[in-house]
Amino acid sequence: MFKFQKEQEIVNIAGVKIGGQPGELPTVLAGTIFYDKHEIVKDVARGLFDRAAAEKLINLQEASAEETGNPHIIHIFGTTPESITRYIDFVAEISEAPFLIDSPEGNVRSHAAEYVSEIGLADKAIYNSINMSINGSEIEALALSDIDSSIILGFNATDSSLQGRMEMLETGAGLLEEGLLSIADRCGIINKLIDPSMTPMGNGAGVALRMTITAKAKWGHPTGSGIHNAPSAWNWLNKKKEKDPVLYKICDVGSTCLQQAAAGDFILYGPIEYAPYVFPMAAMSDIMISEAVADLDIEPASRHPVNLLV
Amino acid sequence: MKTIADTWPIVKGDYTVGNPRSRIAVVTLASQINPSPEVALWGSSKTENLGVEKIIVNTISNSNIRYILICGMESRGHLAGNSLLSIHTNGIDKKGRIIGSEGAIPFIENISREAVKRFQQQVVLLDRIGLTDLTEIMKIVRKYKDRGEVYPEEPLVAISQKKRQSTFTLPRSGDIIVSEEFVMDSAAGIVCPTKDF
Repeated sequence: MFKFQKEQEIVNIAGVKIGGQPGELPTVLAGTIFYDKHEIVKDVARGLFDRAAAEKLINLQEASAEETGNPHIIHIFGTTPESITRYIDFVAEISEAPFLIDSPEGNVRSHAAEYVSEIGLADKAIYNSINMSINGSEIEALALSDIDSSIILGFNATDSSLQGRMEMLETGAGLLEEGLLSIADRCGIINKLIDPSMTPMGNGAGVALRMTITAKAKWGHPTGSGIHNAPSAWNWLNKKKEKDPVLYKICDVGSTCLQQAAAGDFILYGPIEYAPYVFPMAAMSDIMISEAVADLDIEPASRHPVNLLV
Repeated sequence: MKTIADTWPIVKGDYTVGNPRSRIAVVTLASQINPSPEVALWGSSKTENLGVEKIIVNTISNSNIRYILICGMESRGHLAGNSLLSIHTNGIDKKGRIIGSEGAIPFIENISREAVKRFQQQVVLLDRIGLTDLTEIMKIVRKYKDRGEVYPEEPLVAISQKKRQSTFTLPRSGDIIVSEEFVMDSAAGIVCPTKDF
C-alpha cells in the first residue's frame, strides 16, 4: 500500500466523512434502492413501493454500517420526477444518512436537485452525476439549486483510456467546451467526488482502478466507483448465475476489495440487499489497508473497522 | 463467397446465436424476450454507445444478415434503439457522435466510419420499438428470415485491437509507474509526481 504526497481532501456530507489517505477513513458504502426491476417497487413511473420492505432494507444497511464502522449513503434511483420525489421524501423521513439522487435522465436529476432545495434537504443530497451528457439546462438547474455535493464521472465515450478519462475532467477532452471539474465549479459544487467510471470488462473496467490512484494523486478529491457494475455487466458470469447464484454474488461483492486496494474512498455497491455481505468485506479490506500504512504516519479514524473489529 | 467471419459473432454480449444464415437479427432493447433459433442473433441492447457498436460489429461480420428488428422497451435516458436508428440513417460526426441521436452519450469509440457505412448499406432496420409480444415478433421474423439475397460482399471484421501498447512515455524515476505524471517508491510507499521524485 501507499500514501499520496498530494494532500488528500476529506469532505463532510451530512456528517459522513469521505476521502483522505488510504487507511485513514473507513470506506463509505452506498447501496441502491428503487433500482431497475427492484421487487419492492410496484409502479416505476409513479414511484409506488412497499414501504415496510424499503424501510427494512435501509435499516439493514444502517445496522451493517453501525456494526463495521463503514459509513453509509442511500443511493436513490428514479426514472421520473414523480417517482424520485416520492423516494426522496421516504428516505429523508426514515434516515438521517446522506443520499445520492440518480437517474438516467437529465430532467429527472434536475427536478430532484430543485426539489431537495425546496424542502431543505440539499445538504444531504449528492448529485449523481455531472457527466459528459450534461447540457445547458441541467447545468442551470444544478447551479440554481442548493446542492453542493456531486459525483463527477470520468466516462469518455470516445476514449476510454486513462488519458481520455482524465481529460474529460480537466478539459472536456475536445467533446465539451470545458472540463467537468470546471462545470462542477460553475454549478456550485464544493464536495467533488470523482468517479472514474466503471465501464464493462473488455471496455476498460481496469482503467478505472488506475484512474482512482491517478485522480487522487493529481487532485486529492475523494474518489470511488460503482465497481460492482463490472461483474454485473459480465455476460459470462451472468450465464453462470443461473446455475450458481452464490458464484455471482461472490464476484459482485468481492469486487469491492479491488476498488479499496486501488485507494477508493467510496463505493456504490449496487443492490442494498447486499449490505450484510458488502460491509464486512469492505471492513476486512479497510483493516488490512490500515495496517499496511501504519508506518506511513496515517492514523485511522476512531470508528475505523481496525479500531472496532480487531 | 465467404459470408460469415471465422470467429463470428466477433464481440461478446447479451445475445443468443440462432441460425447464422438467417436474414434477420432481433434487438430487444431493454426487454428480455425468449429467443428464437430462426434468427441469426437475438439479444438485448441497453446503451447508446457500446451497445450500438456491438450490434454493428456482429452484423457486418455476417453478410447473411439483411434485416434487424428493433423491438422491446427502450432503455430510459440511454435510448439505445433511437441511437441505432440514428446511426443507420445519419452516421456519425467528426467527433464520433451519432448524428440525431437523443440518447445521453451517443458516441462511438471502437469502430470506423467504414464500418458504419457498411452497416448502413447491408441492413434495413425494422423499427418496432415498444413491441414485446412474442407472437407478433415471430410473425415479423418469419416474414424476413429468408427474404432477399446475401449482402454481395465478404464479411467485414471491424473492431479496433485492445490497446496493449503504452500510450505515454514511461517515467524513468520511481520503481512503480502509475501514469506519465505519477510514480511510486515502493520502499517509501509514497505516490508523487514524477518531477518530484
